[in-house]
Amino acid sequence: MEKKSKPAQRTRSPDGSARDRVDSVDPYGFQRSKDFDYESYEELMSEYLVVLTRRTIKWSKLLKGKRRVQKNVKLKRYVRKGIPNEHRALIWMAASGGQDQLEKNPGYYQSLLGAQHDPKLVETICTDLNRTFPDNVAFRKTANPCMQKALYNVLLAYGNHNPNVGYCQGMNFVAGYLLIITKDEEKSFWLMDALLGRILPDYYSPAMMGLKTDQEVLGELVKVKIPGVWQTMMDHNVMWSLVVSRWFICLYIDVLPVETVLRIWDCLFYEGSKILFRVALTLIQHQQVLLQQAQSLPDVCQNFKQITQGPFVEECHTFMQKIFTEPGSLSIATLSKLRATCRSRISAEEH
Amino acid sequence: MSRKKAVKGKGSSKSPKASPISGRSGRGLAAAAAPSSALVYPSRPSISNSGEFYDIAFKVMLVGDSGVGKTCLLVRFKDGAFLAGSFISTVGIDFRNKVMNIDAVKVKLQIWDTAGQERFRSVTHAYYRDANALLLLYDVTNKASFDNIRAWLTEIHEYAQQDVVIMLLGNKVDSSHDRMVKREEGEKLAKEFGVPFMETSARSGLNVELAFTAVAKELKHRTMKEPEEPKFQLQQYVDKEMRTVGCCRT
Repeated sequence: MEKKSKPAQRTRSPDGSARDRVDSVDPYGFQRSKDFDYESYEELMSEYLVVLTRRTIKWSKLLKGKRRVQKNVKLKRYVRKGIPNEHRALIWMAASGGQDQLEKNPGYYQSLLGAQHDPKLVETICTDLNRTFPDNVAFRKTANPCMQKALYNVLLAYGNHNPNVGYCQGMNFVAGYLLIITKDEEKSFWLMDALLGRILPDYYSPAMMGLKTDQEVLGELVKVKIPGVWQTMMDHNVMWSLVVSRWFICLYIDVLPVETVLRIWDCLFYEGSKILFRVALTLIQHQQVLLQQAQSLPDVCQNFKQITQGPFVEECHTFMQKIFTEPGSLSIATLSKLRATCRSRISAEEH
Repeated sequence: MSRKKAVKGKGSSKSPKASPISGRSGRGLAAAAAPSSALVYPSRPSISNSGEFYDIAFKVMLVGDSGVGKTCLLVRFKDGAFLAGSFISTVGIDFRNKVMNIDAVKVKLQIWDTAGQERFRSVTHAYYRDANALLLLYDVTNKASFDNIRAWLTEIHEYAQQDVVIMLLGNKVDSSHDRMVKREEGEKLAKEFGVPFMETSARSGLNVELAFTAVAKELKHRTMKEPEEPKFQLQQYVDKEMRTVGCCRT
């Protein structure tokens, strides 16, 4: 909330400032920054809470205490409108197939923790423990229970489960978010498995081929859908990896506001990795004029940072509606074809 | 709803209309030393993103193993701050600008910070090509990060320009009791590869400014040297100006 959206319309409540009413730690444990705009936040939340309440009632009716859900058109529509936080773990687990895996493999997570650990893996993970969400109260060394321990376990278990990937920076943030939402190591582990094993291409493997591919795929999509921005990138010789690698690797964590990221993840678990492209294209398209104003490579980078801030991304409900309309059609077939083309182009260049 | 990154920039600065004219090389430039994409030498002063004027610009990259303190060093240099426990692991690549006053010339350093983990190198080494200088860091409390320096140098020689300025930095010398790599070992390795060397501490600020100043001086001299002017001696300058761990005010 860096920019004050509508200062003129803001009405100050007679009983104190928003600063006194809004907690300095957000619902997920993140310490709000010093220059956090409490007034705009309160204004935004007063609108969003109405949406959340309506959605919560609808979801309660849909679930009626059920522990199992079936994927269908109605559920998909519900997911796109946002999963209430109390149901997120349940729906993410069901939609991603994580729940099935957990039930099919009782005790597997614990056995991974009990296995012999590769010291190199342990060391790499430990390097990042203190560097994962230091601004989140639950991840501080002094927190009790300390999320760092759970984070270590989930990452270690995953590294043992998938030695080809092991540990890759960025996974710490992903696992951290999963722990914040599920508050459960084993579920977080199976959600990691769903993401890395089924939902995402090979973003995190040593060759990072999936990442390199998807960056290029995004470039191809921008070339067709937002050619002006593509031209700007060409003019200043900017590689896509420079501006979007974090978007893909961190699945928008620390790129977009927390609430917006979670809404994106709702759809990511349900609909798959093409959601990441919808988000990227929406961000770029919405601010294409700004992006095209760049006069140099640093300008381009700066503007790419700027487009991930402000009311457009903070108003997550509207933003999520936009990602399904603004970029136009984006079929799985198109994506698969582009991925194949880009992948072989990159392989050819590397060899 | 939004959450600020642990290491924040100074707000959202609008990109100025008068941006540097990229690709224009001026007088007295050795073409090989000055790729047009990285060096800017406009006829009149340019304005950097932060709105500061500058005369010449260079691209500097920070490289080295994960966790050796690249981001911390950069933040210490840029903002003069070190906030223990506020840093997040760098994913991908990022940059910050700083304009320095070098012998009455405003030198803009565009400093690129990279992810240290090995697998990210295949993403980041594409950027070495345009770098004018590389600061290669290891952590004096982490032997493995020192042992990997050879591999880093190989990588640098493969992807960077022939005449790139390289400086080896042994960081984290504030934690003297955890030290695993002796100063002499760093010196020896640096000598072997013919690169200047010094020890730094992003935490205390020891030699941080000097490292960047030395690089900026070297790059400036290469670009603007008058024919009769002697060559700038980077290591000699560093040796003269450097503070060692024992005598620094921390």
